[in-house]
Amino acid sequence: MAAAVSRRSPLASLLPLIAKRAASAVLTLFLVSMVVFAISALLPGDAAQESLGQSATPEQIAALRHEMGLDRPGYVRYAEWLTDMLSGDPGQSYVANQPVADIISQRLPNTLMLASVTAVLSVFAALAIGISSAINRGSRLDRALNIVTLSLVAIPEFLVATLGVLVFSVKLLLLPSIALVSEDATWSETLRSMALPVFSLGCIVVAQMARMIRAAVADQLDRSYVEMARLKGVPFSCIITFHVMPNALGPIINAVALSLSYLMGGALIVETIFNFPGLASLMVNAVTSRDIPLLQSCAMIFCATYLVLMLVADVVAILANPRLRA
Amino acid sequence: MMKPIFRTVRALPLSGRIGLGLVLFWIAIAALAPLIAPYGVGTFVDEEVFSPASARLWLGSDYLGRDVLTRIIWGSRNTVFLALGAALMAVAIGTSVAMLAAIRGGWTDQILCRAMDTLISIPSKIFALVMVAAFGSSMTLLLAIAAFTYTPGNFRISRALAMNLVALDFVQVARARGERSFHIALREMLPNMIHPLLADLGLRFVFVVLLLSGLSFLGLGVQPPHADLGSLVRENISGLSSGALAIVAPAVAIATLTVGANLLIDAIKPGAKT
Amino acid sequence: MTEGAPLNRRSLLGAGIAGAGLLALPGCGPSRSGGRPLHGGMIRVATQITSTSDTLDPAKGAMATDYMRHFMLYNGLTCIDDDTMSPKLSLAKELASADRVTWHVDLRRGIRFHDGAELTSADVVYSLMRHKDPAVASKIGTIAKQLAEVTTDGRYGVVIRLVAANADLPTILAQSHFLIIKAGQEKPDGTGTGPFRLVEFSPGVRTIFDKNREYWVPGRPYLERVELFAIPDEVSRVNALLSGDVHAINALSPHSTRRVESNRDCAVVVTPSALYTDLIMRQDALPTGNPDFVQAVKHLLDRQLINRALYRNFGTIANDQPIAPFQPYYNPNVPQTHFDLDKARWHVKRAGLQGVRLPIYASTAANGSVDMASILQEHGAGVGLNFAVNRVPADGYWSTHWMRHPMTFGACNPRPTADLIFSLFYDSKATMNESGWKNDRFDRLLIEARGATDEALRTEIYGEMQQIVHDKCPVAIPVFISLIDAYDRRIKGVRPVPLGGFMGYRFAEYVWWED
Repeated sequence: MAAAVSRRSPLASLLPLIAKRAASAVLTLFLVSMVVFAISALLPGDAAQESLGQSATPEQIAALRHEMGLDRPGYVRYAEWLTDMLSGDPGQSYVANQPVADIISQRLPNTLMLASVTAVLSVFAALAIGISSAINRGSRLDRALNIVTLSLVAIPEFLVATLGVLVFSVKLLLLPSIALVSEDATWSETLRSMALPVFSLGCIVVAQMARMIRAAVADQLDRSYVEMARLKGVPFSCIITFHVMPNALGPIINAVALSLSYLMGGALIVETIFNFPGLASLMVNAVTSRDIPLLQSCAMIFCATYLVLMLVADVVAILANPRLRA
Repeated sequence: MMKPIFRTVRALPLSGRIGLGLVLFWIAIAALAPLIAPYGVGTFVDEEVFSPASARLWLGSDYLGRDVLTRIIWGSRNTVFLALGAALMAVAIGTSVAMLAAIRGGWTDQILCRAMDTLISIPSKIFALVMVAAFGSSMTLLLAIAAFTYTPGNFRISRALAMNLVALDFVQVARARGERSFHIALREMLPNMIHPLLADLGLRFVFVVLLLSGLSFLGLGVQPPHADLGSLVRENISGLSSGALAIVAPAVAIATLTVGANLLIDAIKPGAKT
Repeated sequence: MTEGAPLNRRSLLGAGIAGAGLLALPGCGPSRSGGRPLHGGMIRVATQITSTSDTLDPAKGAMATDYMRHFMLYNGLTCIDDDTMSPKLSLAKELASADRVTWHVDLRRGIRFHDGAELTSADVVYSLMRHKDPAVASKIGTIAKQLAEVTTDGRYGVVIRLVAANADLPTILAQSHFLIIKAGQEKPDGTGTGPFRLVEFSPGVRTIFDKNREYWVPGRPYLERVELFAIPDEVSRVNALLSGDVHAINALSPHSTRRVESNRDCAVVVTPSALYTDLIMRQDALPTGNPDFVQAVKHLLDRQLINRALYRNFGTIANDQPIAPFQPYYNPNVPQTHFDLDKARWHVKRAGLQGVRLPIYASTAANGSVDMASILQEHGAGVGLNFAVNRVPADGYWSTHWMRHPMTFGACNPRPTADLIFSLFYDSKATMNESGWKNDRFDRLLIEARGATDEALRTEIYGEMQQIVHDKCPVAIPVFISLIDAYDRRIKGVRPVPLGGFMGYRFAEYVWWED
């Protein structure tokens, strides 16, 4: 009985934290929806004007506004959206003649796939780069890796992406220049067409993560316990795996989580260049067409992703380092 | 007065000195732009577009036949000052809010944290897009957008630092003496945070340079005929396949500026041993 | 009068378009030259714009992607002949009018929608009348106001009554917006009579079409499958063509043509068009309301430089009036305005405007306007006018900036008739009278031309209207912008059609694939 309790205790002690975080996440989501609604009110024009375009007549605009329900005051629309959302329905798109849920469900899998593939690959790459340059500090390898990550951070991402296309698609004819995502594509087709977007997106996050991982590991290596363990004759690989990494995990996972949250909304430029049907370009689309329900839903997804990633980072950090549990 | 500065510079590792040199070089170019630019920023000096370097046009001409060197000199002015201004603002706001959160604690802390989470979870480029659509593009707005975007990141770091400090004895003692929060923050806490904050400032500077180039990709950059370095890359991108100087040169400019800043940060980071 | 005669504009005016000669080659399209078309082939087409507002509804079509989609799925009563630029019959077997007010349509028999239903007069009445319903939000609601009444006359007959005489109705009905959908479809689902059937439609992502094997025009189309989507970034679009991922693209920047031409597998097609970006000087504001200011600006526009630097000389120098040299009714006798700093300075001085500061609002929404504004600013400084370029986002440009400041840029797509362009943009009562100018003589001539039966008289009237716009209208048009498309060379049968890119947005029906 007692054993069972103590085995459960690391997770059980986390429950209040998770509950607290969930509550504050709801608060944050609510704040985001208010902010999005407020700034969307600042935008010039509305969905009716934007969808009629240049040649609209005032009567047409008025009629379409009525059709879309835009002639009602803003707070009424917001309250309506909020109650719908609370019951799980993100509403109807103003311009696309479709429920928002349908539009999102077309794009979300794409974004999740791009983000997760990039995440897995770039976390591995960043760990490899970060750790190897931290344990070889000052060596030629460290300097070389440092220069590589620095220059990756230094080049605008649209230039990296365009260069990648020029080299791999136009010159070498190896990879597709655009992401042709469709359900009937085979796995190998999908992977090939995702190669360049993943590469361009990965460049940015790998460089940032690797630098932070290097810093975190280097910080631990400077601690006295490492010196102590070495004097005791513990093999260096053991010190890294069993002593340094668990301690460095907290800051590392935090850095990784921050970088990964960028993969969702920050993919805008990569999505544009590779014509990737993802959420970031959908959100821009929602802004330009003044499709507020769609805009809100995109913002909610990005915000929720961020909050979940942060929570996971904290939980992992606590599990890895029992001292933080207090 | 000059001596401690010299001493710090001399204490810098080689990479740090290179970084410092690059950063100073670009700051000088930015400051002296009106004096050293050979032509007007929007003047059409060449009939040919994307022409190669010549004695008259050192870096050739751009996609409209303007002088690339002139445009880079002016572009660096916009980029350096915007990025520096925005990074300073982000760090100033982020740090003061963080210290407030740390000192007050409780509900104030909670609310400020949620507010920062709200800000950080809206993708920055889309936020910029909305702001520019709403208010029209201007230097002030770009500055504000960049500052806002990077405030929450700085807030997270400074709050962590400040939280540690608040728990320390000397801050508790100051509190017990009945010092006002403002005084505690300024006198007791800030001096102990300054090193990591400087490093963070440099990091934000690099981020803003990259954000600006990202924004210029979306057509949200500085007003023409002026441009920031990122816009120069963007507007000449059709010259990329032929390797035109008009695109290579501004890309190199961005790279040297950000790499320089990074090297400098690494060198002044506390505990940096390379 | 018209039996058997070639269908030129003159015969059309009398009795509309009808004739046995037409039936031999139903539908429109290029007169074939070169090899025999092959059947089969799948192509990918990338245009420049897409969004969640992509639509299957012809009434809501905006920009190339929608137009192409609609021309692939639906047919119109008429269409424009690629060779003569005059209207031809399509779904209509006959379209005739004695007074150009009441028009009688006789539909072709046995045409079937993709779902098997037969095309009848009810479909036509429904398709035309819905443009008058504000809730439909038709893009051409203004033009549809000219339709007083559309009624059925038996199973295959339709009577169209206009509010006033308009000889151009056959041309107007050839617009993509007036394509025929199934009666009763409030939200058209792609079921039309057109050359392709809809397979998949995801707004903002892509559309897939398969050949309509029961298409009523024998032999066509040739392609088996077409996938249509957009790559908004121009550099990416060109790269996708060069790497073989797509087979046809539109809206190339003139700066990219060299890249495409250097590739053996691709070809550029340049279509001269009447598309223009114009600088608008509002009459209800100062100093733009000052005629001397307007003249100064017109002389400040370095048209040669704009054409060279922005369009690599692919454009056509324009003369501050909207009819391009290759269009019907063009008046070659209007003297060309040249870049002339001295004249500009003289006008500025006469108006006492030296040192005036004025923002120019430009946006990527109007092609080339940001660079045009930069060029104007550069030259303006030389004559004492301090322009400030204010680049605003394309997002919201038309609703918030266009025509709302003293100096803004407009953009105007090619329109099929002189009457349309003049009545939409230059009539003093038009909602899109960009500058807010008013010229009584011009307004009178506009109405006179619509009713004019004599072709020579029409040419004369339109000629004078061009002169008036050139002299008096505070709108400056520097160049007509050519449309540049590029194709994979394996696509055969492509040629420029001045109605728009991609052979007037209809190339999918006419081209074929040869490996």
